[in-house]
Amino acid sequence: MVRTTDRRDFIRELGLGAASLPFLGNLPGLGFANQARRKQRLVVIFSPNGVVPNAFWPTEQGSDFKLPKSLEPLEPFRKQTLVLNGVCDRVRGDGDAHMRGIGCLLTGVELYPGNIQGGSHTPAGWASGVSIDQEIKSFLQKETATRTRFGSLEFGVQVPDRADTWTRLSYAGPNKPITPINDPYQMFAKLYGKAKDRELLASVLDDVKDDLKKVSGAVGVEDRRLLDEHATFVREMEKELRAAAGDTVKRVIPELPASVKNENDNIPKLSKMQIDLMVNSFVNDFGRVATLQYTNSVGMARMRWLGVTEGHHELSHEPDSNEKAQDKLTRINHWFCEQIAYLAKKLADTPEPGGSGSLLDNTTIVWTNELGKGNSHTLDNIPFVLVGGGLNFKMGRSLKLPRVPHNRLLLSLAHGFGHSIKQFGNRDFCGAGPLVLS
Amino acid sequence: MAFFTISCFIFFVPSVDGAAIYKAQCVRCHGPSGEGTKQYKPRLEGDRSIAQLADVIHKTMPENAPGSLSAEQSQAVASYVHDAFYSRIARERNRPVRVELARLTTRQYRNVLADLVGSFRGTPGWTDQRGLKAEYFKNRRYRPMDRVIQRTDSQILLDFGVESPAPGKIEAHEFSARWNGSILADQTGEYEIVIRTEHAARLWLNDLKRPLIDAWVKSGNDTEYRATIFLVAGRLYSVRLEYSKAKQGVDDSAKTKGKEQPKVKSSIALLWKPPGRSQEAIPSANLLPINVPESYICSTSFPPDDRSYGWERGTTVSKEWDQAATDAALEAAAAIAERADELAGVKENDQERPRKYQLFSQAFAERAFRRPLNAEEKKRIERQLAVDADPVIGLKRVVLLVLKSPQFLYREVGNSRNDYDVAARLSFALWDSLPDAALLAAASAGKLSTRESIALQAERMLGDPRGRTKLRTFLLTWLKADQPLDLSRDAKKFPGFDSALVADMRSSLEYFLDDVVWSDTSDYRQLLLSDQVYVTGRMAKYFGVGSRVENGWAKAKLDDGKRSGVLTHPYLLAGFSHSTESSPIHRGVFLARSLLGVSLKAPPEAVAPLAPDLHPSLTTRERVTMQTRPANCMTCHEIINPLGFTLEHFDAVGRYRSEDHAKPVNAAGWYQARDGKTVKVNGSQELAAFVADSPEAHAAFAEQMFHHLVQQSIRAYGPDTLERLRKSFTANRYHIRRLAIEAATVAALGPPTKTTP
Repeated sequence: MVRTTDRRDFIRELGLGAASLPFLGNLPGLGFANQARRKQRLVVIFSPNGVVPNAFWPTEQGSDFKLPKSLEPLEPFRKQTLVLNGVCDRVRGDGDAHMRGIGCLLTGVELYPGNIQGGSHTPAGWASGVSIDQEIKSFLQKETATRTRFGSLEFGVQVPDRADTWTRLSYAGPNKPITPINDPYQMFAKLYGKAKDRELLASVLDDVKDDLKKVSGAVGVEDRRLLDEHATFVREMEKELRAAAGDTVKRVIPELPASVKNENDNIPKLSKMQIDLMVNSFVNDFGRVATLQYTNSVGMARMRWLGVTEGHHELSHEPDSNEKAQDKLTRINHWFCEQIAYLAKKLADTPEPGGSGSLLDNTTIVWTNELGKGNSHTLDNIPFVLVGGGLNFKMGRSLKLPRVPHNRLLLSLAHGFGHSIKQFGNRDFCGAGPLVLS
Repeated sequence: MAFFTISCFIFFVPSVDGAAIYKAQCVRCHGPSGEGTKQYKPRLEGDRSIAQLADVIHKTMPENAPGSLSAEQSQAVASYVHDAFYSRIARERNRPVRVELARLTTRQYRNVLADLVGSFRGTPGWTDQRGLKAEYFKNRRYRPMDRVIQRTDSQILLDFGVESPAPGKIEAHEFSARWNGSILADQTGEYEIVIRTEHAARLWLNDLKRPLIDAWVKSGNDTEYRATIFLVAGRLYSVRLEYSKAKQGVDDSAKTKGKEQPKVKSSIALLWKPPGRSQEAIPSANLLPINVPESYICSTSFPPDDRSYGWERGTTVSKEWDQAATDAALEAAAAIAERADELAGVKENDQERPRKYQLFSQAFAERAFRRPLNAEEKKRIERQLAVDADPVIGLKRVVLLVLKSPQFLYREVGNSRNDYDVAARLSFALWDSLPDAALLAAASAGKLSTRESIALQAERMLGDPRGRTKLRTFLLTWLKADQPLDLSRDAKKFPGFDSALVADMRSSLEYFLDDVVWSDTSDYRQLLLSDQVYVTGRMAKYFGVGSRVENGWAKAKLDDGKRSGVLTHPYLLAGFSHSTESSPIHRGVFLARSLLGVSLKAPPEAVAPLAPDLHPSLTTRERVTMQTRPANCMTCHEIINPLGFTLEHFDAVGRYRSEDHAKPVNAAGWYQARDGKTVKVNGSQELAAFVADSPEAHAAFAEQMFHHLVQQSIRAYGPDTLERLRKSFTANRYHIRRLAIEAATVAALGPPTKTTP
């Protein structure tokens, strides 16, 4: 359950009358100081092992297009969706296709040579550059107007507990992979831990005061002074906690279901929890950039809840002729698409705090993958499905682009935020500049 | 030894009224009871004898006409002042001291939390062996069947070149190794841990579930990996290091089998940068080949404790402290909640979980409060546990309640002196921490009622790493070196005097202290008289010792034995120097305050030393003498300078010299003892011999030790406690550990109960 408070309620609770409303626009300290410019957000969602092309790519181009089987869940948001076919990861160098697929996906640059041996090709290390989500985060954090508590949040669902090239999507810089937070409770603690701590503290203060009295009674007059002083701090803390509790009511603290274990069969629950936390973090403006990584490159989720008992990666190696396998893979991607749709719906249903429209109007979701197709390991036609109005792209279209390097799309994302960089990642792939999507 | 005394003949002339002279000539600055006045604030108090005081008055008072009082008049004023308010005894009479209520100091808080949580995990062991247990494997797997070598590596500073660590048994191109054991932290604070390797490595420290450094992915040219961890002094932390010269990820060894392998260099080093120190390979002395349970580390930062009396005291509270204590309690509650099942010894699905949590909570509160709980307190815990449906939330509330309770935070509440109080006083004195299980058992069996039984426990406790650390910290505090001294030197004047050398010098001092304290005789006099210095190869070269020092450390006689223990240890000599010149003033202050227990006031104004360049023809001694000549300087510098001058044979980096500024060194000095006799000492060795035998120095050492251990004024334990302690120190042939045991025992028994006269 989530309790939201709109700006009007908020101002009413502050006891400010309607007359003062027009002047509140840039009032600092009200939490909406940075609303003069529209808030823009980016969410990158990663799912692994490629897609089944004929069940994924619309056959039509332009604004009149049908969503194939894998993309059906996005039907309610078709008008806010942009499907980009023909975007290719052209980065080569060390590492196998899965490693480069995830490591170069958001960085657009080669992996360093290293000691991690893939299924083929030469061994490699980490990516040699920053990823676009972190580049945009740094850009936003530089300005007071767009700075937020965390800048970016990195969510994971069942990312394996090992750090290597296959498990890392975001990079703070060359050789600086960022570990996504897999555990929704850990993410909750990061976002709302302080508020929960205050509740806990308030619950023991009466007992602490009792003890202070008891100890005071057992010491002499001179020593009592020290305890009296201590007692004033406890009273001050009580007051501060009460004041903070008042603020907390106005914050939006989500409630998570209890004791969901971090394991394969809970992926649907974990996914929902992480998405709920992400949307809440936007309501509280904790960050403007988020990534959500399902498993890892070569991910092995077993989607038993879909009746698929094989691991995702082994299925993805099956040839096109294995129709059963292709059907299962299509269902798997359909399930991932449902997660995108759930996020889109939550964003669409949540009004933009202190602004106009919904969160979805100000957020662009980018759903992507490390491969174009699982059984060929191609890095051509990397899935890029965009949803939402965060970056002023013209949505409601299906585009087929002429084998453009994905670096140009990464540039478009930066430009969408007004971050007009000329190059990102390997400059050889930035030639014609950002893709024009607006 | 040339001790030459000047006798002072003192005649008491009853017709001279000291009180009257004081009233007429001194009150206007010093106030009626020596409390000071607006224009002259310092309180007139100290520990000079009447004779010393008379001498100062005669030479420097009254300020507007020094020398105008006759010797008899000065003597009379000195007697009056001394007895009325100046001396310790007078001060004690005027302001009786007591054992004060004190909250835990920051040092204690961190130790207590570590031991409180640790008490549910079993006791860490101890060993005199050093190094880490090493296992070498012939491929990239860590299976027992692939293990080829097992041994102890004294340090992780290994360079295999392009070779195999065991030719014939292990191939040069692919092997792995693993080290296990623990790391002993000497200081509290942020440590930077560094791994250097061209290959894959992973390090776990304290928490063996999550690696502190994960460099399993070798990427690009990175060969150095760093992480920061907060460690608490006197504790062992489990360590595991894995190293692999092999490709990771998919195993393609079958494909490459039989093919010529490129020759690749391989090395691994484990280094650290302790707080305030320079980076170095973790010394063998800090590596132990035993595994220990995980330690709880409280890393919340606290405001500094009061040290105005020269020792840490928890006798003030502030808003910042209260906030820090709250943050630390929350930090602990979260950590305990995360490990609740492990600590409570229960499985997640166990029916017994609520009951086990209750047992854990009770034991936690009991250990934290250092005594059994009463019925009401037990009920309160049950109530807090029951409030939330989630038992972990209840547990967090209990932890928070206990750690915020004044019953936990304060010591010396009231004048209670049952066996539990004795146990707590003893453990705080020797460990700065809680009583352990053995001590609590003794308390509950009523076995802590006699001085002998307490002393027996104290002896046991002193050998624990916490006891060792506390003793070492005391000695370093006594030497004013508990914080790293500033040894940055003018590089032009002292080429080769670099941070690595300074790190060696510091360790050399610490090893020397440990060596003396933990020898059988544990003889304080050895601290002053030993002519041996621990050296590394680097130090041997710099200080011109002929002997070669290969790996590690050796004892050497520097300068043909012209050294005398801590007085001439290069680290201290350099530490009490300026960046280009020795500083007889810093050295003299150190000798007077620390070794002889003279209380000196801060200088009336900050004075920069005279620049040597402006007086090129003067020796350091001559410059100092010139600058401190004014009478108001001489009240203190009369004591400071002649002590400091005795160390003039040692320059600003602690090397021996026979000339200073092209003139022969004059190291003659003197000290006026409290019995009024002036002792002439020429050079460091005569000074050392005097200090080693001086009852003043013995008392100063005993008093500082007591204050460091107990953190209460020794006078609160009776007016003659210090004298008794000094006498027993002498009777025990200046046995340092015995002195610590005596001091802790005195504190454990508590102050004498008040009797009506």
